[in-house]
Amino acid sequence: MRNQTSLNVFWIMVKRDLLIQWRNWAEFIFRVVMLPFILILTYGYVLPKIGVLPASFPNDLFPGMVGMSLLITGIHGTAVPLSMDFNNSREIEDRLQAPVPVMVTAWAKMFVGMIESWIGALLVLPISLIFMGQSLRLHLTTGNIFLLLLILLLSSFASAALGLLVGTIVKPNQIAAMFPGFLMPVIFTGAIFFSWSALVKLPFYQILVLVNPLVYINEALRHTMLGVGNAMPLTYSLIGILAFTILMGVLGMRRFRKMAVR
Amino acid sequence: MTKPLLEVHNLRKVFKKADGSQHVAVDDISFHLETGEIFSFLGPNGAGKSTTINMITTQLTPTSGTIKIAGRDIRTDPINARRKIGIVAQYNNLDRGLTAFENLVYHGRYFGMTTQAAEQRANELLADFGLSEWRQDYVKSFSGGMAQRLKIARAIMHRPQLLFLDEPTTGLDPAYREILWDHVLRLNRQQQTTVFLTTHYMEEPERFSDHVAIYQQGKIRALGTIPELRQLVPAASIVYATVDAVTAPLLQELNQQPFIKEILQKDEKNLAIFPNTDDQILQQVLPIFEQQPVKLENIRLSFASLDDIFVHVTEHPTEMEVKAHA
Repeated sequence: MRNQTSLNVFWIMVKRDLLIQWRNWAEFIFRVVMLPFILILTYGYVLPKIGVLPASFPNDLFPGMVGMSLLITGIHGTAVPLSMDFNNSREIEDRLQAPVPVMVTAWAKMFVGMIESWIGALLVLPISLIFMGQSLRLHLTTGNIFLLLLILLLSSFASAALGLLVGTIVKPNQIAAMFPGFLMPVIFTGAIFFSWSALVKLPFYQILVLVNPLVYINEALRHTMLGVGNAMPLTYSLIGILAFTILMGVLGMRRFRKMAVR
Repeated sequence: MTKPLLEVHNLRKVFKKADGSQHVAVDDISFHLETGEIFSFLGPNGAGKSTTINMITTQLTPTSGTIKIAGRDIRTDPINARRKIGIVAQYNNLDRGLTAFENLVYHGRYFGMTTQAAEQRANELLADFGLSEWRQDYVKSFSGGMAQRLKIARAIMHRPQLLFLDEPTTGLDPAYREILWDHVLRLNRQQQTTVFLTTHYMEEPERFSDHVAIYQQGKIRALGTIPELRQLVPAASIVYATVDAVTAPLLQELNQQPFIKEILQKDEKNLAIFPNTDDQILQQVLPIFEQQPVKLENIRLSFASLDDIFVHVTEHPTEMEVKAHA
């Protein structure tokens, strides 16, 4: 038996998580698709069609839908299995006993959360094209496609870091409360249905929503997909994503270590 | 002289309770295990056995004290410690989303086995534990006994030097308990695997252990070989008597007999009588029962079992001197 390297074990753990996720693919798709589907159907199709919202609204909504799906899927994909593993099934103990630093398990969990968040963001595309395709006016050039990929990468990392923190705090019996108590506020203050700069008329609210990482993700995506427009300056949104990623990552790692070696 | 495989010195774990007070779960214990020995750690529920195991297996940080595995402090080198140990936890912590075969193969892969080697060993262990038929079944469909067998197979998958069995035979029928012990003894004899056992079945440590520690309220109350521990009870032989109801006059009469050292009332019907002598003890005790208005249902003479030693030690904690295993 050879001495195992951390990187080898990391990939084996990632493979294990992906295998289990693959076996539950139908549940995964349903979980990931339902929220953006219902929001796109209502805010991107029905309300603009009946004149409650302007016809251009779907175009403003699209980056927010991508950002929301990415963040929520990443948080869910990391937090829920972690919470169950630590508090309920205790399946993680086998991986924590592997002869590598315990943080390898945390990195593997986060990496799988990142992959899931990308899949979540990708699944929004066909739904958006079906219901809002005619209204979308994206300004994507070769240059900002790379920028877009960088933002998606950073955002998926932020979502997995937030998932790590949430997953090590929330108990399985609190997961049901996570949606109304945590995810709903993140979604509705997350600059999905409005641009952050449009909140200038509500200065208190404009400052308040800055605690939400989804604001920075959506503003960066809005800036890249729709052009400068009325989005937050890119530098600010990128700094915001980065700062949240570091903060959540450090706190999440600390919590994970505390749970792994009590 | 070779170094012990496991050395525990002045180990202590204090938990903070919700009300701010402190609970001492493990209170300054020391012991060591030589390579190849079978060591039983016995104690009532909540005595701190699992807390001790969790600290030795790097899952819980001690409040103070040191633990060394193969001479290396597990706090400074937890990876080396984990490489050498295998754990069968009390509860089912198998991967329910994986098949029995995958559970073993992934475990082997975490420990550096190649896929081919892991698959080959997984098949061997599944066959040994009577699980080949369920090789490709998901663990979530397994019965308690099947899951327990698989947990044991997984723990020995990477051929650990130190195997922790935390109540491993709970939920297993007698046939599989024998299979488990057959395996453990084979590992122990052929590969010098050291075994650290906790169990509520006293016949297991009695049959297999080299050393036994009796543990209570975070402290080791007695430690030694079974013959050494036998010396801690008042007599090597014990008369077990079962009557329809133990009465105060019966106890009084027995207590007055010069050949009786101590009487332990186990429950309302059962007595353990520790005599001063082994000489024709039954013949001396029987008339006392006959004189009393009680119905003697059963009486037998036997050597002090580990069960008796355990009961005696845990019921007389202050009288016991810890026999140093050093």
